[in-house]
Amino acid sequence: MDAIFTAIGLVFDPYVLWVIVASAAFGMFVGSMPGLTATMATALLVPVTFFMDPVPALGAIVTATAMAIFAGDIPAAMLRIPGTPASAAYADESYAMARKGLLDLNLGVNLVFSVLGGLVGVIILVLCAPMLAELAINFSSFEYFWLCLLGLTCAVFIATSSWLKGFVSLLFGLLLATVGIDPAAGVPRFTFDNVDLMSGIDFIPAMIGMFALSELLRGVIIADKKGSVVAEKVGNIFRGIADVMRRYWKNFLRGSFIGVLIGALPGAGADIAAWISYAISKRFSKEPEKYGTGHIEGIVDSTAANNSSLGAAWIPALVFGIPGDSITAIVIGVLYMKGMNPGPTVFLQNPQFIYAVFIIFIVANLVMLPLGWAAIKSAKQLLRVPPNILLPIILLFCIVGSFAMTNSVYGIVLMFVMGLIGWAMEENGIPIAPAILGLVLGQMLEQNFMTSMIKADGSFLAFFERPIAGTLGVVTVVVWAMIIWRSVNSKAPAIEVAAGPAEGR
Amino acid sequence: MRVNDAIIGLLLIAASIAVFIATLSFPEFPGQRYGPSLFPQVLSTAMLICGVLLVIHGWRNRTEEHWLVLESWTKEPWRLGSFALVIAAVLVYIFASDTVGFIPVAAVILGVLFLWLGTRPVTATITAIVATFAIHWFFATMLRVPLPRGWLNTIL
Repeated sequence: MDAIFTAIGLVFDPYVLWVIVASAAFGMFVGSMPGLTATMATALLVPVTFFMDPVPALGAIVTATAMAIFAGDIPAAMLRIPGTPASAAYADESYAMARKGLLDLNLGVNLVFSVLGGLVGVIILVLCAPMLAELAINFSSFEYFWLCLLGLTCAVFIATSSWLKGFVSLLFGLLLATVGIDPAAGVPRFTFDNVDLMSGIDFIPAMIGMFALSELLRGVIIADKKGSVVAEKVGNIFRGIADVMRRYWKNFLRGSFIGVLIGALPGAGADIAAWISYAISKRFSKEPEKYGTGHIEGIVDSTAANNSSLGAAWIPALVFGIPGDSITAIVIGVLYMKGMNPGPTVFLQNPQFIYAVFIIFIVANLVMLPLGWAAIKSAKQLLRVPPNILLPIILLFCIVGSFAMTNSVYGIVLMFVMGLIGWAMEENGIPIAPAILGLVLGQMLEQNFMTSMIKADGSFLAFFERPIAGTLGVVTVVVWAMIIWRSVNSKAPAIEVAAGPAEGR
Repeated sequence: MRVNDAIIGLLLIAASIAVFIATLSFPEFPGQRYGPSLFPQVLSTAMLICGVLLVIHGWRNRTEEHWLVLESWTKEPWRLGSFALVIAAVLVYIFASDTVGFIPVAAVILGVLFLWLGTRPVTATITAIVATFAIHWFFATMLRVPLPRGWLNTIL
């Protein structure tokens, strides 16, 4: 109980609340600008949070991402351009509604169900994380090895249209993680006698490069193209919400739970959650013919799903240190920087900090209601910010942000190189997210792999001897068998839903 | 810029062989069967397999998939220029910021990019200066990041 009160004290501190409100505004802005994603918002925030205490730092990230995922819905409805990829699944539907004169209802539904979906995600996080942590306290290197491998497998399997290219991306990330001092024996590897490389590939500049600089390179070549705002005026967005709730509460619950499931799976995040829940909603709807013509039903499912996935992604991140999506991959980097290595022990040693995260999640979702309303009301002005002013300023932010992580030019060089690689990868259909997960999890995977190998002394059966490790191992092997079986038997890409423009955030 | 999968595959094969060779020079410890080279070797072997699969895939589809496809924007000088300018801006910052200092380099980078992307000269100049000082204030003063002072050191 004491820990909860401590946590409340930590969160309801004027400075922390100020950080939450400021990052909420930042998230709203980034989310509603087409081309700027929620992951990019997080990557740009990290250099700033680096200088904060853990609670405000995490508060800033939680709030900014929640806002950004909602705010992506605004330009989707007004310009038919999703603000973040998480809104891409229903951008056409939203735009069709706006064309029919239903913009108010659409934005209202997006806001209210984003908030409610986000809260469902938090509730599941609060209920599941401590339980899982109790289970995880008995895990040995075998369990962690399989968990890591299963997580990375999911990232390859779910998040990408071609498993081969996803796997290439993952291997690239894992190899990058081996640069520097090796975790088992302390031998420098692939450092070419360079002092900077001895400390390894710094994760944050690499992130900023892959998610922000590469996005910038894509944005700058279309900086002169603008969408036209469909509706000039926004009225009372809350009218008719109660009716929608009465009619489609089942859709809301279904969407939220799909979001939670997808969010908790490593590698897949809000964008995939929205695509899948939209597809499922259409499949089970009584009037599937209305989908695509400006029908609210599928939007309820998917707008709830992308927000509920955010909270759920923190479950594996906090309990096992395995990120549920690319945003929590950054969060794990931040946790390590703050000296709070994620894992079940955090729940014992620093419970007040875990509770603080829970409280911030609830606060962030509640703050979303008034701030989201304000963002919708000022959307017309917001969407008028010209990209030719915005993009150069973001570039400077990328440069200064990566400099701040190493206090040397090394950070900028790293950001630059990774940005170019990330750009080239995306151009050729190689997803970025698995590489980032590989970079984050590489050391953990290797450490547990090496420990397990030494313990097992070459006997592969030891990897399956403990009950939970054995189960996880069998599941991993089965997933791989499925991937290979499918690719041998059909030429179609692994998953149809992911074939959409579902990349990054 | 899209290249045929076979080219990516060849790159991966070359990279994985290079990694494998590099691991051979890692020290071994007597009495330990698994050294620091094991994990990178597993990874590079997997990468080699991926490379071979991509080469096969790319070779099979060589009629539909061209060896190199350049999108339409690469044929428009202005768009190509925007792309190159972003890259040049980062390079200029990397090489010049230490001697020249953050404020002049950042202001010039911003100003040039604004102008190239079609902002009016007055707006571009004012925004570049204001944004530079705002970012400098935020990172150097608020967050105490040691942004390079460069020429300012000799003046002040």
